Amino acid sequence: MISGNATQSAGPAVRIEQLDKYYGSFRALRNVSLSVERGEKIVVCGPSGSGKSTMIRCINRLEQHSAGRITVLGTELDDDVGNIDEIRREVGMVFQHFNLFPHMTVLENCMLSPMIVRKQPRAQAEATARRYLEKVRIPEQAMKFPGQLSGGQQQRVAIARALCMQPQIMLFDEPTSALDPEMIAEVLDVMVTLASEGMTMICVTHEMGFARRVADRVVFMDGGEIVEEAPPEEFFTASRNERTREFLSRVLGH
Amino acid sequence: MEMVALAPPAPGRLEDLRRRFFATPLQAILSLICLAIMVFLAWKLLNWAVFSAVFTTTGGPEACQAAAGACWSVIAARWRIILFGLYPYDEQWRSALACLTVVVMTVLSCIPAFWTGRRIAIVWGAGTTLFYVLMKGGMLGLPYVGEEAWGGLALTLFIFVTTCLIGFPLAICLALLRRSELPWISRTTGLIIDAVRSLPLISILFTFAIVLPFALPQWLIGDKLYRVIVGSALFFSAYQAEIVRGGMQGVPAGQEEAAMALGMSYRQRIGRILLPQAMRNALPATINQFVISFKETSLVVIVGFFEILASGNAAYGTGEWRFAYVEVYAFIAFIYFVFVFSLSRYGAFLERRMSVGER
Repeated sequence: MISGNATQSAGPAVRIEQLDKYYGSFRALRNVSLSVERGEKIVVCGPSGSGKSTMIRCINRLEQHSAGRITVLGTELDDDVGNIDEIRREVGMVFQHFNLFPHMTVLENCMLSPMIVRKQPRAQAEATARRYLEKVRIPEQAMKFPGQLSGGQQQRVAIARALCMQPQIMLFDEPTSALDPEMIAEVLDVMVTLASEGMTMICVTHEMGFARRVADRVVFMDGGEIVEEAPPEEFFTASRNERTREFLSRVLGH
Repeated sequence: MEMVALAPPAPGRLEDLRRRFFATPLQAILSLICLAIMVFLAWKLLNWAVFSAVFTTTGGPEACQAAAGACWSVIAARWRIILFGLYPYDEQWRSALACLTVVVMTVLSCIPAFWTGRRIAIVWGAGTTLFYVLMKGGMLGLPYVGEEAWGGLALTLFIFVTTCLIGFPLAICLALLRRSELPWISRTTGLIIDAVRSLPLISILFTFAIVLPFALPQWLIGDKLYRVIVGSALFFSAYQAEIVRGGMQGVPAGQEEAAMALGMSYRQRIGRILLPQAMRNALPATINQFVISFKETSLVVIVGFFEILASGNAAYGTGEWRFAYVEVYAFIAFIYFVFVFSLSRYGAFLERRMSVGER
């Protein structure tokens, strides 16, 4: 999908260095460092409150980090609004609760940002939107409103909406946690397809099957810090860390 | 053998009535008594308003006063004062056209096809200019008529429309400032809103009309009418700002986050995502506020403007028609009703339309 972008800078897609994040006096992230190469797929897991969501929300500045550095596609995230906008255009995000715009049709949800942020002509934005709706396998829902769709369908629309901006990196913040069990597969299928096409992906998820199938690396967080990162086969079978093994036994235990 | 489950047949109209009102003998008696009272009252009213009423001015006030029913002759004789106030008699067609302009402008902006920034701006820009030129004259061969001579329905509509026109955008600005992340901005805005809300409208109108000229430099004073409109718009915006803010609080935080993640700027997030949803949430309360503001225009009489209610006073207050005040007020009430009722019906239409796709 991503081609002909010769001007993109060298170096990793995302580099996080010694990141700290405080909410008041609560330290949500402790000295987190992580580097994600282009085309790499990272799965971030860990118990609730471990800082996973906070970390990926820092990558597109939905949260402002307190200390440390984040560099996305060669641009450093600082207080420069221009940099923030530039990074957000290139980083797509999918949320736990979909966050589709309820006052617009599915098609309009997908077309809005390409038209007003990327300044694409309407016809082009619509063609792109229809192509991605096809890709997430719900082209027939284009004229419906989000409230008329099931959770799984809504999440697939949300993925299509993010893809319409043709981002270079996709962030997934627990994309299947709010879904009924029978709808999880349809969303994961779309994510697997996306991964197979070479998208750079950072996914916060508890879907360990997905991690095993797709991830290049699994990152385990606890208490605001990265406890362990390893390729999936090593992570699931030969974890060296006590906290990781305990977490895994709870998630995989039944 | 086929088994088809049938829903019990829906009761017919008569059956439904019987069940609701005549279920027991006591209930039947009560229903009949109430019905009788209602028929009696309806007959009385109809008799007064139509059958025994006098509609023509031929007999003059005396014949009218002698009649058993309503004296609509007063309207026939004095409708021009009620609708146009002190506006010069020969120029009153201009005032009528100006009223029509406001109505057309309002109706146009209620049609969804006009809901783009540019079209609304054209409609309102052209409409208000046309209204102003028609009313004030002094150009295009129209004789000059100063604001102090404006009155009646045209004045009521002008005050209402300009109050909303200034007050509504101001309300949105105040609501946005109030949710600013900078505490000194949000607190100051909150203080202004609460201060204005804690004052009675009459005192604000009075201050703007009478006191302000002493405080302002000469070039800023303007006509009393515009000062009163600014005061009334300020009052409107303080209340409407809280309504808009309430609507914004009903929009989940995830909506703005999604818009940010898609790279939208602050203005785009506000204009495309936050406000459309907030206004939908705020619609019932907003319509309410419009209705209240329309009726509150009658308070400008305190600073010497003859809007429709005050013009009504003048219409019967001159000797010969003094007895016919009920008819004049009924007529004015009817005019208020037409405007306010259309406003509420339109609000209901909007709510239905906006709930498309919501569950």
